[in-house]
Amino acid sequence: MTAKARKLFSFLCLGLFAFALIGYGEEQKADLYAPVYNKPLSAQPLKDVLSRIIEFPFKLIKWPTDKGIIYTEQHRLDKKTKWIYEQSLKQGVKPLFGFTDLSALPFFGAEFNLLTLARQKEKYPDLFATTTLLYCPSVFFSIGSEIGAQKIGGTGFHTKGLFSYDRQQKEPFYGIGPHTSMGDSTSYRLTTTRVGAAAGYEFSPTIDLDAGFDYRKENILNRAHDGKGDIRSIFAGQNIPGIGGDDLLDYSLVLGRDTRDSKDEATKGSYQKLLFQFTDSVKGTSARFFKYQIDMAKYFQLASPRRILVTRLFAEHNEKIDHGEVPFYDMAKLGGAGANARDSETERAFVYNRFYGQSALLLNLEYRYTVMEYKEFKLKTAFFSDTGEVFGKIHQFRVVDLQESYGIGFYLSYARNTLLNFSVAHGNEGTRFYVKNKLAF
Amino acid sequence: MNMKLKKIKLAHQALAFVILGFGVFGLTGLAMAGETVKFKESESSFYSDLFDQNVYSEGVNQLDLGRWGRKLFGKELSSKDVNVFDEVPDSGFFTNRQGREKLSREALEKGYQETSGPDLSKPLEVLAAEQRGIYPRFWVRDARGDEYLLEFDPQGNMELVTGAEIIASRFYYALGYTVPQFTILSIKPGQFQVASQATTWEDTGFKKTLSQKRFEEYLMVLPQNAEGLYRASACKIMKGDYHGTFSFESRRKDDPADLVNHRDRREIRTLGIFAAWLNHYDLRASDTLDMSVEKNGQIEMKHYLTDFNGALGSTQEGPKGPMLGYEYAIDYGETIKSILALGFREKPWQKKWRLAGEKKQTFPAVGYFTNEFFTPADYKTEFPYEAFRLVTRADGFWAAKLLMSFSEEDIRAMVKAGQYREAKDAEVIAKILIERRDMIVRYWLSRVNPLDGFSLSGGKLSFKDLAIDYGMASKEGNVYHVEVMNDGRKGKIAQSEAKTPGIDIRPEWIPAKGETRIIFRVSRASTKTVSPAVTVLLNAAGVQGIRHED
Repeated sequence: MTAKARKLFSFLCLGLFAFALIGYGEEQKADLYAPVYNKPLSAQPLKDVLSRIIEFPFKLIKWPTDKGIIYTEQHRLDKKTKWIYEQSLKQGVKPLFGFTDLSALPFFGAEFNLLTLARQKEKYPDLFATTTLLYCPSVFFSIGSEIGAQKIGGTGFHTKGLFSYDRQQKEPFYGIGPHTSMGDSTSYRLTTTRVGAAAGYEFSPTIDLDAGFDYRKENILNRAHDGKGDIRSIFAGQNIPGIGGDDLLDYSLVLGRDTRDSKDEATKGSYQKLLFQFTDSVKGTSARFFKYQIDMAKYFQLASPRRILVTRLFAEHNEKIDHGEVPFYDMAKLGGAGANARDSETERAFVYNRFYGQSALLLNLEYRYTVMEYKEFKLKTAFFSDTGEVFGKIHQFRVVDLQESYGIGFYLSYARNTLLNFSVAHGNEGTRFYVKNKLAF
Repeated sequence: MNMKLKKIKLAHQALAFVILGFGVFGLTGLAMAGETVKFKESESSFYSDLFDQNVYSEGVNQLDLGRWGRKLFGKELSSKDVNVFDEVPDSGFFTNRQGREKLSREALEKGYQETSGPDLSKPLEVLAAEQRGIYPRFWVRDARGDEYLLEFDPQGNMELVTGAEIIASRFYYALGYTVPQFTILSIKPGQFQVASQATTWEDTGFKKTLSQKRFEEYLMVLPQNAEGLYRASACKIMKGDYHGTFSFESRRKDDPADLVNHRDRREIRTLGIFAAWLNHYDLRASDTLDMSVEKNGQIEMKHYLTDFNGALGSTQEGPKGPMLGYEYAIDYGETIKSILALGFREKPWQKKWRLAGEKKQTFPAVGYFTNEFFTPADYKTEFPYEAFRLVTRADGFWAAKLLMSFSEEDIRAMVKAGQYREAKDAEVIAKILIERRDMIVRYWLSRVNPLDGFSLSGGKLSFKDLAIDYGMASKEGNVYHVEVMNDGRKGKIAQSEAKTPGIDIRPEWIPAKGETRIIFRVSRASTKTVSPAVTVLLNAAGVQGIRHED
């Protein structure tokens, strides 16, 4: 028993010795994931003191912004706003919003679809009756109504009657002709009341012919603005036809063709509009003229829908007839971004209504290319040039009188609807900035 | 004399006040120490995340002098939460799972599971609903009393969203992140019962009572399979106290365990790499969740990643848009480049889109997910988190190592969790993920020192060359440059070279006190450059530390 114990003890000792020998030069297996650090973990600021001081004023903005955004999202205010807008459309009220060229002031209003409001649209799907109200504080107020039928008896015939009242508080005026000066400026108040009717035929979804007849009452009210005098004193000695206002009759014929893939953000196609109009005074004044107008644009894809070259030609000539005259407010006008219905035509380095003339010729070239796309959002950059001139008779057109604008624009859109148009243009009268929610063409 | 007395009296009074102040402060401190930790709710939302990352941080980061300094001098900001072995210890953010020990195929497929999914022995009680676009999602309670969030596939893309969500949850869990339980649920229309107090957030933005009729209208827009079953991903609502989301930038100041700014946490930084692997473009801080739970009498904060339906080829609305993963929601760099190129620069995603014939899908269940024009370095999540940009080579190596711990079969096992009807859908996804894993790993291993697994045995320090082990470098023509330094002292003790992964450690290199630093660099016949360094700290007991160069 003792010998056995001794043997066992010897084996144990031998085992321990062998174990010790094998273990020499072996590392003790460490836990690679143990929380053992070179330096104890300690809370440290994200940035150095100076950077934090520089950031501090911005943090003051960040906090309320974040809170506002989170509140908006938590209460789904964005969705609620969208829903209210959609419901409003569904009920027959379309909210309108935009920016005028003048001082980039916002305007707002609504288009009321009277048949929808009266719950009669489903019963008379081809009829329409709308009233539009627009207001821009201290710039303009307008209200207009149209009633008509889109497709008479399922054919392409259409007709409408219209009434409108428009009050422009501050229409700029710099004189007539290509050689006017920015220094000789004033503005006038213009109210236009119009009653008319139109009928036409839609040959196809892209071609339409429209004939119209209007009675128009134009009231001119002089008004000094920005410390400058009355229109009559500023331009004393000059013949400004129509300065006393007038009652006019317009007879017009418009042929339109539009093959664009989108009216707001076209990437291909073209549009052409030819207008012929005869205007005569019913007050016995000398206002009597023909108006010829061409407005056409083509959208070329440069091997990609992301690169678009737009060329636009606008030409207008007002021909006096029977010793008549063209009232100055009916003359061709150039200047501004041209994105609103009543604006003068696009000549972006010049102020709105900068040039008045019996005739006008304008060529717009714009290269638009997409620089950012994210889901339905798109940002485009545009380089543009607007070259135009107002003149009297056609033979009075001079190449040297052409006015040049060039610039750059950034257009942000969502699902092909322009949300923001920020443009800057430069010409020989300086640089102008525009913020709009529409494109010029 | 009187004045002097007054002054002394005043000094005494001041001293008394100071002592009293200290006393009150101390008592308050003691009282506070006795209290349990109270966490604030940290708020974040999609739009606030968009503003904070794409607008605020992009601007304010330009005013960070430290950032400019690092850029100017080419200095990297090391991760702060790595241990002496250059690994990330377990925390409320991360638990070493596959990295520590390979998980079984069953465990990989199963992911994090508390239950087998909603108990359908009784109809699911619909507690609430939310309409997003046209599709709804439901909060339900099952027979066991557990609550789940059910999300469905869009029409025409059965299995796309649900599959992506389940698969991504398996990957994130296996990688080590904290995720809720996700399971696939196939359910008949009759297995729902609308609770009497149920409400719904309509897409109009208004909250309404959820009627049976409205619920049935919701069901009508959801796709059903041939057996008339709806397929949903069921996310189990976690138990615990909710504390909002966690930031990818700063730490929670109300959590004493959260000492490292999240921007400086390796597991947060490398989320960008894992998101690239899983094509998880909408990995956002606003889609995270902080929950506190009691464990062994201690309150612990768990930081969850949730919402994975933007992974693989999917988005919540259907197949991914072509630009997702390639550009931030507002990408200033890309936009400026495009402006300067005057429209004549075709971005990689645009070329891919053109070559794909502008079609989003070949397989409706897979969506828009391929590896063409995928470059690991250029992958972008929806928002530009600074943490993802701060990834160093050491962080990238850690992530690459973790990625390579998943074998092809492991990946297939996790994809299997998507329960696709067509085997080819699962195979397509697995194949893309395997290829993408290799692309990411190849990218990082080409930039780092790929030596790892250092161990001292029999007087020899052996290690693994992971580039060779992963088949990304040839076994021939490799030279391992070794410099032996005495820790704490300048100057080399020795210098040598080895052609195989391992060096003999001479006894004189090991100091009686302290450690020896052994610096390894690798040069290969295929490349003319020498790799960055990896430093190993060694003493008689063995390897005491490893640090890969940032």
